[in-house]
Amino acid sequence: MSEKRRLQIPQGTEAFFQEEAKRHRRYTTQLEELFQLWGYLPVKTPAFDFYDSYRPLIDSGMEGRIYRLIDRDGELLMLRSDITLFLAKQIATSLRAEDLPLRVFYSDTILRYQHREDISRNEFFQVGLELIGKPGIDGDAEALILLDKGLSAFGREDYRIHVGSRALVRRIFPENLMQAAAGALCEREFESLSALLLEAGYESDRRKRIVEFLSFIGPIEEFVELLRRMEAQASLPSEAYGECAYLCELIGLLSRLGMEKRFLVDLSESGMQGYYTGIAFQAYLAGADSAVASGGRYDGLLDHFGFSAPSVGFSILQRKIEAFLPDIAPNLRQPERVKGADFADAYRKAEELRRAGTPATI
Amino acid sequence: MAEPLTLALPKGRLFDQIQDFFATKGIVFSVEDRKLVVSDRDDILRIFLVKNSDLPTYVNHGIAGLGICGDDVLAESECQFFRLLTYSFGNTSMCLAGKEGSRPVALDSKLTVATKFPEFTRRHFNKRGVPVEIVKLNGSVELAPVLGLAPYIVDLVETGSTLKANGLAVIERLEDIKVRVIANRAYYKLRYREINALIDRIREE
Repeated sequence: MSEKRRLQIPQGTEAFFQEEAKRHRRYTTQLEELFQLWGYLPVKTPAFDFYDSYRPLIDSGMEGRIYRLIDRDGELLMLRSDITLFLAKQIATSLRAEDLPLRVFYSDTILRYQHREDISRNEFFQVGLELIGKPGIDGDAEALILLDKGLSAFGREDYRIHVGSRALVRRIFPENLMQAAAGALCEREFESLSALLLEAGYESDRRKRIVEFLSFIGPIEEFVELLRRMEAQASLPSEAYGECAYLCELIGLLSRLGMEKRFLVDLSESGMQGYYTGIAFQAYLAGADSAVASGGRYDGLLDHFGFSAPSVGFSILQRKIEAFLPDIAPNLRQPERVKGADFADAYRKAEELRRAGTPATI
Repeated sequence: MAEPLTLALPKGRLFDQIQDFFATKGIVFSVEDRKLVVSDRDDILRIFLVKNSDLPTYVNHGIAGLGICGDDVLAESECQFFRLLTYSFGNTSMCLAGKEGSRPVALDSKLTVATKFPEFTRRHFNKRGVPVEIVKLNGSVELAPVLGLAPYIVDLVETGSTLKANGLAVIERLEDIKVRVIANRAYYKLRYREINALIDRIREE
């Protein structure tokens, strides 16, 4: 065996052991229990599936990162690189209208290539949920509250959830420029955004005001204030105000429930994936080098697989957060080492301890 | 008091230009005793001096939340950053150069180029539909055409005096290389208020 094969594992994979694995399992269980308390049921997706099923939904960025293989019949397959996509197909092909609303959660690995400079990004394990068949504010609020509760389960309070809206981008840009605009907005490339606004026919002053508006990040009160100014100057297309009012209503609801400190309006969160249709959000944790969770509403995704139902959901990149958590080993019960005259004697003593709930090794 | 913002700066000439420019904005810092981590006088910034080409790596990993570097460095890195500000100083050009008096390049056939910037070169010529063979070098690229390693080079050109001294000339100015203030995306999202205030302060008139 070559040194490379002996010492390394392929890019995009990960292995972890002992205390790290114990901690990982504990948080996974904690999140799963939380989701089950809210009525969500576990779901498993296949590790690989037919590439052609997903081809139209994979953007060029992801295209270069997925692993493909060919099965014995010559079919092109892809390894699971995005659980939401794999889940959408599974659900759409097995769901009936009377099953709605459906609440499912998952905790699984994803496999995709990561550049060597990105290897610390720890995107290998995702735990998340999908709420299918619940449109509008009730569905969106439930997903955001569960994300908040899920993140707080890690015991850190210094995270923030930034909420934006793909629907708002759709109201400002024509369909042919929408994907490019959402991409530029996510990257906060305001020069490109201004060029797209010019292409969409907005005049100079208005372009400037819209770019300033879309660059907004802040608490809901500041957003309401900015929105008033935009309305007074008639800066946005009239259809866009409805989407803004929806964001205000949603974040307002979360504020009334006492969560205002952790949610910010961030219009540059417009969802990198092309399948987003409504709200889009990401969570950030101090110290983590990129977002630790992301999600949004994708009402058209299941349609692609032949079943029509609105959906909202998110994924938490659990390993990314775990890197910042204290070692939980001191709180974990270490097994007692049992000795006996022979194996049978030690076995009996150990069994007694185990019956009393004490972990024991022979 | 809020924790200082972290900023990676490249060692070398650009560092001196940034240091002078920041001083005009009241942000004063100096580097003594070969130190690589310094703070400004008012402790609003913790500054890391890093090798130019390593700067994106530090910012990508969030070790430094902010950084200042040229497009040439960003083009070689596959990482994504927010570009918050563009400066008018420190700018230069990425050029295609060859032996003085050499025939004009036919950009419809395969081009062999020696360069320190393989990603930039590949991307630039791919965009133009020109097949390019790249010989990666780490320095003194002017030697490549002189010694016959490759007929052309792609390199940063400011005055062109090094090219001239080696009997080379610019064939084509490929792209302007600008100096940018970049941010790690997650870092920006968590500290956007302080960062926006800093950006307003370090903007050119």
